[in-house]
Amino acid sequence: MAKAVGIDLGTTNSAVAVMEGGQPTVVINSEGSRVTPSVIAFTKTGERLVGQIAKRQSVLNAENTIYSAKRFIGRRYSEVQSEIKNVPYKVIAGPSDAVRFEIAGKQYAPEEISAQVLRKLADDASKYLGEKVTDAVITVPAYFNDAQRQATKDAGKIAGLNVLRIINEPTAAALAYGLDKKKNETILVFDLGGGTFDVSILDVGDGVFEVHSTAGDTHLGGDDFDKRIVDWVAQEFQRDQGIDLRKDRQALQRLIEASEKAKIELSSALETTISLPFVTADASGPKHLEMKLTRAKFEQLTADLVERCIGPVKQALSDAKITDRDIDEVILVGGATRMPSVQALVRRLTGGKEPNQSVNPDEVVAVGAAIQAGVLAGEVKNVVLLDVTPLSLGVETLGGVMTKLIERNTTVPTRKSETFSTAEDNQPAVEIHVLQGERELARDNRTLGNFRLEGIRPAARGLPQIEVTFDIDANGILTVTAKDKESGKEQKITISGSTQLSKDEIDRMVADAQAHSDEDRRRREEVEARNHADSMAYQVERQIQDLGDRVPLNEKARAEQLISQIRELVKSNSTDIARLRQLTGDLQQVGHGLSSSASSQQGRPGGPTQQGGGSGDDVVDAEFTEK
Amino acid sequence: MEPTEEENRPRDADDSAQIERLKQELKREHDLHLRALADYENYRKRVERERATVARAGKRELILAMLDLLDDFDRALQHAGKAPLSVAEGLEALHRKFISLLQAQGVTPMVTIGEVFNPQFHDAIGLVESEEVAPGAVAEEVQRGYLWGDEVLRPARVRVAQ
Repeated sequence: MAKAVGIDLGTTNSAVAVMEGGQPTVVINSEGSRVTPSVIAFTKTGERLVGQIAKRQSVLNAENTIYSAKRFIGRRYSEVQSEIKNVPYKVIAGPSDAVRFEIAGKQYAPEEISAQVLRKLADDASKYLGEKVTDAVITVPAYFNDAQRQATKDAGKIAGLNVLRIINEPTAAALAYGLDKKKNETILVFDLGGGTFDVSILDVGDGVFEVHSTAGDTHLGGDDFDKRIVDWVAQEFQRDQGIDLRKDRQALQRLIEASEKAKIELSSALETTISLPFVTADASGPKHLEMKLTRAKFEQLTADLVERCIGPVKQALSDAKITDRDIDEVILVGGATRMPSVQALVRRLTGGKEPNQSVNPDEVVAVGAAIQAGVLAGEVKNVVLLDVTPLSLGVETLGGVMTKLIERNTTVPTRKSETFSTAEDNQPAVEIHVLQGERELARDNRTLGNFRLEGIRPAARGLPQIEVTFDIDANGILTVTAKDKESGKEQKITISGSTQLSKDEIDRMVADAQAHSDEDRRRREEVEARNHADSMAYQVERQIQDLGDRVPLNEKARAEQLISQIRELVKSNSTDIARLRQLTGDLQQVGHGLSSSASSQQGRPGGPTQQGGGSGDDVVDAEFTEK
Repeated sequence: MEPTEEENRPRDADDSAQIERLKQELKREHDLHLRALADYENYRKRVERERATVARAGKRELILAMLDLLDDFDRALQHAGKAPLSVAEGLEALHRKFISLLQAQGVTPMVTIGEVFNPQFHDAIGLVESEEVAPGAVAEEVQRGYLWGDEVLRPARVRVAQ
């Protein structure tokens, strides 16, 4: 089965994502990165380089390194005069006013260049997935005309891809948030990337998106914000030291990188330090740069850039003949939308609406394209949305603790079995108390049901094997079965609606468990210490019985003394764990002594039936209380 | 079954339509099942492959940050001549210690000057006139590059001879 991928073919960078098990995943390229520069180079030796590698040699080979091919794709030569001025490679007129790049005497159409990028993305995706990729959905800006869309599609064909569909970037972003399921909503997509700004207003109804208006600024993006930091730092440094760092290419390069890092840090921190030791030197010696930049100062430096976003948003709203009150959803796209000042502006312009931003804004377009690809390839349409159990499920075991069989957030359908045993000699029945919740003690959790499995044949405690199975089907219906392995007797209970708690209820129960976690853990430890002590007392008692008069009298007396002390503490529900553990340890020593002095050891009860390998220590943890 | 108006219709046609529908449904379900299994299998394989690289990726991030610090250190040493000899010697010893720490992790500096420019290892930031090296070879190193085993940890930032 060939996979269909979603490709965000960008002006500067591209990304590819794919559906896996009904979930979109961004592909990591062969260089280990989640984005690939949309750059192609033809070297003097006739080699073709794509992506990061092509970018690294661009200054040496500028006339044969093509970037921003997206600005030319599907356009006429006569339309792109202003773009040609910005690029170092040769752009010429081809047949019927088509755009051609001339590289080493050969002509290439923009779609041939974009095809190279698409090919690399598809190859990287194949390598990542371990299976061939042939089908793709490719995104284009909403303002692309038919010729630009057709040319993008052709680029896909040249790359050997079966282009399932060309979709709009804002539509892809909306798909990534599942907004196609909404009925008659108006969506504003705010896309501030590295160098371009786009606003789109979409309508969705019956799973169909319609673009109502687009506006933007082709020369506004995150890079402009970096430049403001560079200029500010350089000016401050010049004032203090009298040296203009912008004239020192090496220092400038370091400053540009440090400024971008500072910008990113200020999205989460209120203050950052730009530190460039030995940034430059003059006759008096080396100079260091160390400057604090607060978020407030950064916002002051970039306030006009943020303000420049207002015009296009208002334009888009008025073109769509709506006001901010008509917007139902807002989506943020592009890394620059991580800046708090940009987010605040978006809120202000959209009537205080909380924007969708849970999907990585650098990847949201590729993710949406992958979802569309999954739908078109028939993968998504029929995928059953798998539910999870919102809370843990388990049974009550000895000492009133809850033993979890299915942890919360386990994807259903699921099935889990565990073998338990009895807590008393000749116990004829076990009580299965089915619990839901996160607390350690049974009484703090929710009871889903109760039943008894009777007719267990008389046996020493710990010997009977009771297999308890929890099975949750795809509809969230829980069936708990208890089976006595020896007699084959079985009892079961079916509980529906175990996953149908309200979100508030679930949140409350989880928060409750967190709030009480220390106290609960202590209680559970107490119970476990008592269980362990009781089990040890039982084992040693049995040992003494089994060994009879082979036990030296003094050791027997010592063991019996310890056993009675332990029993007293257990009976009084003592919370003195330290003392219990001490006594249990002592008794264990005595027990070991008994078996070695009697040379043949036998009659250790319980062992094989238990979970966790059945060592004596684990025996009691999972036993049922008899009620 | 409750009697319905539909009982008057020929049962055979009804049944075969039903069978056909169920067959289709079964086919679809079977296909989905296989897809899910395949997805899971591929996912499992990839997670296994990635498990080895995850630890390395975490380390990589830390080493890259340390290289940044080493660059600063290199710059500092260029000015160490003006410091008292004992201080300069101490700084040099620190520098060697830093480098050997990285070497112990398999990190080695690239030798670039005089090598033919190769974008796999070199990030070109410009061209220069050079008498020492042949045209197309690396003439100046602006920022040292590092290898981590066979992997390029950080390409060297270089100027290339015209």
